[in-house]
Amino acid sequence: MSAAVSSGRPSGRVPAILMSFLFGVIVLGPVFWALATSFKTEVEAVAVPPTLWPSKATLENYFKVFRDQSFARDLFNSVIYAVGAVALALLVGIPAGYAAARFTFKGKRALMLVILATSMVPGVALLVPTYYLLDSVGLLNSGIVVTIILSARIIPQTVWFIANFVEAVPVEIEESAFMDGANRFEIIWNLILPLIRPGIAAVATIGIVTTWNDYITVAVFAPDVAKRTLQVALVNQVFDAVGISWSYMMAFVVIASMPVILMFGLVQKWFISGLTAGAVKG
Amino acid sequence: MSASHSHAGASSPGIGITGDTPETHNRARVSWVPYLWFAPAILVLFLVTLYPTFFVGWLSFQKTRYYDLTGFVGLANYAEVLSSAAFWSTVYVSVTYVVGSLAGAVVLGMAAALVLNNSGATGSVLRVFILFPWTLSMSVVGSIWLWLLNPSFGPIPYLMQLTGIDPGLMLGDPSLALPLIIVVTAWWSFPYVMVMATAAMQSIPKELYEAVEIDGGGPLIKFRYVTLTQILPTLGSTALTLSIMYLTLMTLIIVMTGGGPLGSTTTLSFEAFRGTVQAVNIGPTAVVSIVVLLINVALGVVYTRLTGRVTG
Repeated sequence: MSAAVSSGRPSGRVPAILMSFLFGVIVLGPVFWALATSFKTEVEAVAVPPTLWPSKATLENYFKVFRDQSFARDLFNSVIYAVGAVALALLVGIPAGYAAARFTFKGKRALMLVILATSMVPGVALLVPTYYLLDSVGLLNSGIVVTIILSARIIPQTVWFIANFVEAVPVEIEESAFMDGANRFEIIWNLILPLIRPGIAAVATIGIVTTWNDYITVAVFAPDVAKRTLQVALVNQVFDAVGISWSYMMAFVVIASMPVILMFGLVQKWFISGLTAGAVKG
Repeated sequence: MSASHSHAGASSPGIGITGDTPETHNRARVSWVPYLWFAPAILVLFLVTLYPTFFVGWLSFQKTRYYDLTGFVGLANYAEVLSSAAFWSTVYVSVTYVVGSLAGAVVLGMAAALVLNNSGATGSVLRVFILFPWTLSMSVVGSIWLWLLNPSFGPIPYLMQLTGIDPGLMLGDPSLALPLIIVVTAWWSFPYVMVMATAAMQSIPKELYEAVEIDGGGPLIKFRYVTLTQILPTLGSTALTLSIMYLTLMTLIIVMTGGGPLGSTTTLSFEAFRGTVQAVNIGPTAVVSIVVLLINVALGVVYTRLTGRVTG
């Protein structure tokens, strides 16, 4: 069970290593199949028996995705919503998180409980009322509204993370800056933010992945073709069952996951540094 | 999505520097300045989350036709929903889905954590790759599996045929659709259990294992009385996080089955989604939404108690 038990005998690890690879196959097999399909021609994709790897790999499906007339707009919307939502979450979350960590005042506990409570309200329960409210004020299919809704989903965790990171910074640093005549804004901007940068990077990364991956919010509140994201465009292909092309769809899957794949490597790094920053606290 | 639940308690009141800073010397300003720092965040949360939460409660007492409100009906919507067989079938599907997915994810995740923990450097490298599907969107996961399970061209039905099993309609089969969605959900989420369990396992003091060894205990005893006992709290909070996620998950079902066939994969959350977009009569949909909300808040409160994430 523990590393100590088996570390002395590498040969004793062979069954465990074999089973580890089995888990690797279970998890990555489907991903591999999707990737392989994206490089096949549609004829080969639906051939029986199926081929494990394309006999003649082609990038044609990817070119088709890029050539699609709505692709650029879908991509643009995906980027804008994700970046906008995270920027807004940081903009409102940094002051709140800082105040939570540094100020003591009446009603703080109540405020933090309100934020905690909002994190427990699932988006699905708010579909009907939000749709009704947006419809009644004519704000359906608004990119800005969708961005704000996506942002609200990540604001609670942003506040908690920032509060934790700020707490890890010794108060004495701020106090000596006060002595030197710096005001609160300068202290946060020049002192605190650079110190908690790894934490902010971790929060931002998680936030971007979360909002990028969203389907429901955009599909329900901004279903217009001009306002949809890559995720919505992907699902719409599934609904369009008659014209479905599996090799094209798998190429779309790879492209729609690309930012998340790229960030995946970064998350690992930023997480570790973020956690280490928290651990120094004492 | 992922990893958003790994934060600890937000603040401890003792360490503030309130009162002796240049800005807060003025007593009158002390009273409202801290609130200003919270105001933008609270404003957004009020508009997007709190107000619609109250509004869905209000909606549930209204008589509705499409999206038009035609008057106050008291508890009529509740009576209608709670007495309908369709609603209870939705509850049954939800419970089956959550429990089934949880069982699969926890068993697979624990097994993967144990096996990879004993695989040295290979395990550390593989762990990163195994976490990968957890970052994919539900639309992507659904699309990939829709392709893998396609009865005509998918590799899984093909393999089934090779081994002499008739794959039938797969996701089109009312008795098979929900189990298949459970399998996909477990596939997508067990890496999360694995990561949480691994972190907990690696923080177990080695002395505990040595003590069992001195008493002559084998691997099973070690697992049962040291590993399992020590990681149980982590496993509990992980299971709660996943339950909340499963309960509110819609996209995978939208992509893979659209709630069908014959309503066999219509969960409470899917029903709330369907009611919103079909918009035939939103009063009952508001009631279903409130049911999801209440279960979610209950699980959330238990989670908060369990992890000690109480603030202020």
